[in-house]
Amino acid sequence: MNATNPPESGTVILRVENGSKMYAGVHALQDVGFDVRAGEIHALVGENGAGKSTLCKSIAGAIRLSSGRMSVDGQSVNFQRPGDALRAGVCMVYQETSLVPSMTVAQNLELGRERLITRLRPLNIKAQQQLQSLNFHVDPTVLVATLGTAQRQMVEIARAAYHDARIIIFDEPTASLTPEEKVHFFYLLRDLRAKGLGIVFISHALEEALELADRITVLRDGRHVVTQDASTLTREDLVRHMVGRDVQATHYGRRAGSDAKGKREKVLTVENLTMGNIVKNMSFTLYAGEVVGIAGLIGSGRTESAKIVSGALKRNLIGGGSVYLRGRPVRYDVPKQAIDDGIVYITEDRKLNGFFETMTVEENIHLGSLATKKGFRWFVSGRQRRELAGALAARLKVRAVSAGAKIIELSGGNQQKVVVAKSLIQEPAVVFFDEPTRGVDVGAIPEIHQAIRQLADEGKAVVVISSYLPEVLAVSDRILVARQGRIVEEFSAADASEDRIMFAAIH
Amino acid sequence: MTDTTATPDTTGKGGGRRRLVISQEQIVLIVTALLAIGFALTLSGFATIGNLLALTRSVAILGILGIAMSVVVIGRGLDLSLVATMAVSSAFALQLMQHGWGWPGAAAAGMGVAIAIGLINGFIIAFVEVPALFTTLATGFLIFGLGRTFLLDGVITYLPPQAETFAWIGQGQLLGIPAPVIVLAIVALFVQVLLSRMTVGRFVYAHGDNVDAARLTGIAVRPLTMLEYAICAAIGCLAGLVMAASTASINMQIVNSTLIFDVILVVVLGGVSLVGGRGGVLSVLAGTALIGTLLNGMTIMDLDNNIQNIVKGAVLLAAIIVDNRLHPQDEETARQGD
Repeated sequence: MNATNPPESGTVILRVENGSKMYAGVHALQDVGFDVRAGEIHALVGENGAGKSTLCKSIAGAIRLSSGRMSVDGQSVNFQRPGDALRAGVCMVYQETSLVPSMTVAQNLELGRERLITRLRPLNIKAQQQLQSLNFHVDPTVLVATLGTAQRQMVEIARAAYHDARIIIFDEPTASLTPEEKVHFFYLLRDLRAKGLGIVFISHALEEALELADRITVLRDGRHVVTQDASTLTREDLVRHMVGRDVQATHYGRRAGSDAKGKREKVLTVENLTMGNIVKNMSFTLYAGEVVGIAGLIGSGRTESAKIVSGALKRNLIGGGSVYLRGRPVRYDVPKQAIDDGIVYITEDRKLNGFFETMTVEENIHLGSLATKKGFRWFVSGRQRRELAGALAARLKVRAVSAGAKIIELSGGNQQKVVVAKSLIQEPAVVFFDEPTRGVDVGAIPEIHQAIRQLADEGKAVVVISSYLPEVLAVSDRILVARQGRIVEEFSAADASEDRIMFAAIH
Repeated sequence: MTDTTATPDTTGKGGGRRRLVISQEQIVLIVTALLAIGFALTLSGFATIGNLLALTRSVAILGILGIAMSVVVIGRGLDLSLVATMAVSSAFALQLMQHGWGWPGAAAAGMGVAIAIGLINGFIIAFVEVPALFTTLATGFLIFGLGRTFLLDGVITYLPPQAETFAWIGQGQLLGIPAPVIVLAIVALFVQVLLSRMTVGRFVYAHGDNVDAARLTGIAVRPLTMLEYAICAAIGCLAGLVMAASTASINMQIVNSTLIFDVILVVVLGGVSLVGGRGGVLSVLAGTALIGTLLNGMTIMDLDNNIQNIVKGAVLLAAIIVDNRLHPQDEETARQGD
């Protein structure tokens, strides 16, 4: 497969041949071939569980391959630990940053290289030079804890460069960046490429991979599918390689008659919602049978507004604005009250606060029912659990290994479906989805979108908060744009476009 | 879409983490059995009915306390004030009996004191949001001090001689089985039903597994926390009553003993992880059986206290290492295949 690439685009720094990794008798990677050249950006794409992280971790020395050969500059290597890889010039930047929050930027850069006694002044000067050479505007003397995600990532990159890395691997670097930060980040990557480094980046955003990468490798189920020049691939090609079949982009929003607002029942009205510095005068109205997409940058107050309405956060006691549910003013202290009134919030981070990892799929879903006034029973009935939870799992097409499977054994998409099912079993009238397809495999995304559509068709008021514009455009009947804690623009599905939304979100 | 998507999702993923399915409580039970067989073959006094009854009887109170503790530990809490609560509430009940109360009234009053303490613990932890460790460490001292100052007359409270009926739960037996063991069995059954058959119990597991998810799912987490500590304290009081009945007195010095650590030992040993949401009544019983067998065997061998402490410490360490192997929590393995 490597033969399809022109050889002049750089010398191969690192090569993996027949790389396999077994976990408890199952192949996480099987006979994978992969190489990184000097001065290239190499994107690695695939569904969750395709083996991207496993491959990168083995290159970075965090795990060891069960079999296969790896070479750096033609020399065979066998990394036992990340330190070995680092010495060979391979550095990995993880999703959860590996910086020490209680240390300064400069100290973090030096981390792992300290002498017995380190003097701070020369350290800060050296760090300042390093940061400036990369055009990073970060003060080396501030604590990492005070930095935002994007800045932390810069420090990580600076650290890699500081350690004379020749290959830097990024694990989903853009997942938590705002659009402007992404632009800057891409600029940095191109800069590093120009300096002759080999960049590997794992991404779920195919557009990014196509825009940025020189070559793209697709993995599926632990096997190498294809490595090609990015210029010869399209989004559809990539999806087909990843999934092994065609997935169409579907538009679920109501194309016509969506401005029949007057006829629909007004379910929820939010007026001048205010919470600290994050939510300022947020106002919007939700109608039954409609999907409202809320677009905007991270930190624009969308998640917080949804959480306030659903009782997970509290608005300002004085001047916090009002929320009316079918004309009745409401103010919830805890989510339970909102749920009893039919308002649910489906979290953006299912691992953090979405599901119960020790429980099975059915137990997770059934707990949602038990936690409502209507569904509460003193004693748990296994039969009732199977019936209720089974029906919801089937409706959302949850695919588990077995009915009693633990939720942590499922793929990201199926976990997300379980979390959605756990809320839908509560028979809500208003549903807030926060980033409903983040970290969800490509195949499951349309199924979740269909479920969202179905809810609206059943007459529920649905809100989808998403930073992924194609998603907002695909599912919404009406699109609101949030900026700096307030709604600044409203589009009907027909009028909206990515450009117009982005323009409103930023200006 | 329905028919085509069936393949890619289910493959590869779940299989990767399938490991040998053996729980910690099973390991503990197997070790206990091996140990018991070993003792039976080597120690002459071990495998007698009398000794086995003495064994179960000696750990019954520890088992009851362990089950009490497991209720809060499964809910990702910890009650370091459990022994203080137990001592004060049961001594209070004994004192009421001395003052001429009937045993049901006195026991109920002691139980009331314990439940009040539990609710206060839960309130501070849930509503004032002080970590359970600090809350119960502090309330433990408070309960001991306040109890000694305002409720109790002396360090040792004796069971009045007329309370023979009451003394049965400590000294009596039914069909040859010592009453404390019967109390343990009833408590175990009650908590088992509560935790695994009742919705409240499922909420406790949910609470321990993921507090934020439990809250977002609509579980009233804060009242639940109060309930957990109240149940724990009430069962603790029961353990205290059994203890008082079997020795005909309760000595407040027990609060200053290492009993609370023994309780945590049997809880953690069986697989009720301090992480929360894991283990159950059976785990506590398994842990109690192992400790009981060990202590009994060592007593027959006439090993001194220091050696017994060394063995206890080593066993706890081994249990924690096994737990770490079985339930790896680190980033590397937890995120495998993501």
